[in-house]
Amino acid sequence: MKTTLKNFKIRAIALSTGSITKSYIEDGLAQGIPQIKLERISQTIGLNFRKTAQNNITTLDLCEDASRRLLRSLDLDISSVDAIIFVTQTPDYSQPNNASLLHGRLGLSQDSMAYDISMGCSGWVYGLHQAALLCAHGGLGRVLLCAGDTLSRLTNKLDQSIDPLFGDAGSATLVERSGAEDTMYFMFGTDGSMSSAIKVPAGGSREPPTSKSKEEMKDKFGNITTQENLQMNGADVFNFTLRDVPQAIQAVMSYANYKVSEVDALVLHQANKYIVQLIGQKTGFNPNQVPNTVFAKFGNQSSASIPCVLIDSMGEALTQKPVKIVGCGFGVGLSWAAFAGEIGPFIVCPIQPYPQTP
Amino acid sequence: MNQTDLLIALQSDVDCFSGATIDTQLESLPRWDSLSILLVISHIEANYKIILSGQQIRECRTVRDLLNLIPTS
Repeated sequence: MKTTLKNFKIRAIALSTGSITKSYIEDGLAQGIPQIKLERISQTIGLNFRKTAQNNITTLDLCEDASRRLLRSLDLDISSVDAIIFVTQTPDYSQPNNASLLHGRLGLSQDSMAYDISMGCSGWVYGLHQAALLCAHGGLGRVLLCAGDTLSRLTNKLDQSIDPLFGDAGSATLVERSGAEDTMYFMFGTDGSMSSAIKVPAGGSREPPTSKSKEEMKDKFGNITTQENLQMNGADVFNFTLRDVPQAIQAVMSYANYKVSEVDALVLHQANKYIVQLIGQKTGFNPNQVPNTVFAKFGNQSSASIPCVLIDSMGEALTQKPVKIVGCGFGVGLSWAAFAGEIGPFIVCPIQPYPQTP
Repeated sequence: MNQTDLLIALQSDVDCFSGATIDTQLESLPRWDSLSILLVISHIEANYKIILSGQQIRECRTVRDLLNLIPTS
């Protein structure tokens, strides 16, 4: 479905990563995997380094750190924030939600909204749409949008097909009501019939955690998982990224009446380097229009990956001038969310690991 | 294209097929892994404009089974 919004703007963006740097090749060698095999995979899909969180650090902590740095950079009175929207699938608790916990930590006014959106890799776009909707049509002045996950907590360390892909990060984006008439175009899609393609089978209400759901199983490639681990059918997910994601990008561009040549950047969820490159090719973009270095530095950061690209690959431009971008988040659901519009200039806080090492 | 031509084209994009013949069992290829499956899907989509499902590929036993999924016209 397609929709447009105007009368809002992004004021600032920040992102905090986990503080542990992992190297795909070094960790693989330590697990006894042959170097030639590791290098083949590393070169094809761009696995290199990633940042994961310490065991006592959650998505909430990462987003709190990003939010505090963001609010400091704006020198903003905290009571002027009317809502927190927290996009995550790795909340601290099943109840209460992360948004209320962060509301308490930051000391927001009681006269405010705080709610979570349970979305993964398409989530930042959902959150942006929701925050913009509240500002443009809901009478709110300022919304703090947090988006991130600590997926390394859900993967099995002995599952080489999934664990090395993911990094941990939390982002914060401040969205404000504005008189600007610039339109942002959105295109959302869902394929619930493929919901098993990316799934944590046990641990929720349908299959509560039991000793059985903690039993380790080995697949034919030697990867070990339990029913409480994140599982992904790579081929089915890949199909979806080849078929539905390019279509959504083309649809949102035609909705916005954008030509490839006038777009400054195609900002994609950084699933991996190979997928980002393929989607860029299939949608007719020149490789230099498609930022594709974030995955190799940070890993797949779920809903934090689009903000990470905005800061890491486009931060300098975004602090200076409006930038015309097309973007798309895609993943668990299956869900995809594309957008097209001009953003910036706004404050870009540097990416920092949390906690900071002395 | 006959199956030999299809295999040669596949070998140029997907390294796990080097040295394979049409009758080779996929499971016997040392590098037949989840990455190779993605590369096969990508090769077939780019060259023949069809997107194979994970299920279709999982049901293949030999290289021939895989090549039979490509429509020859």
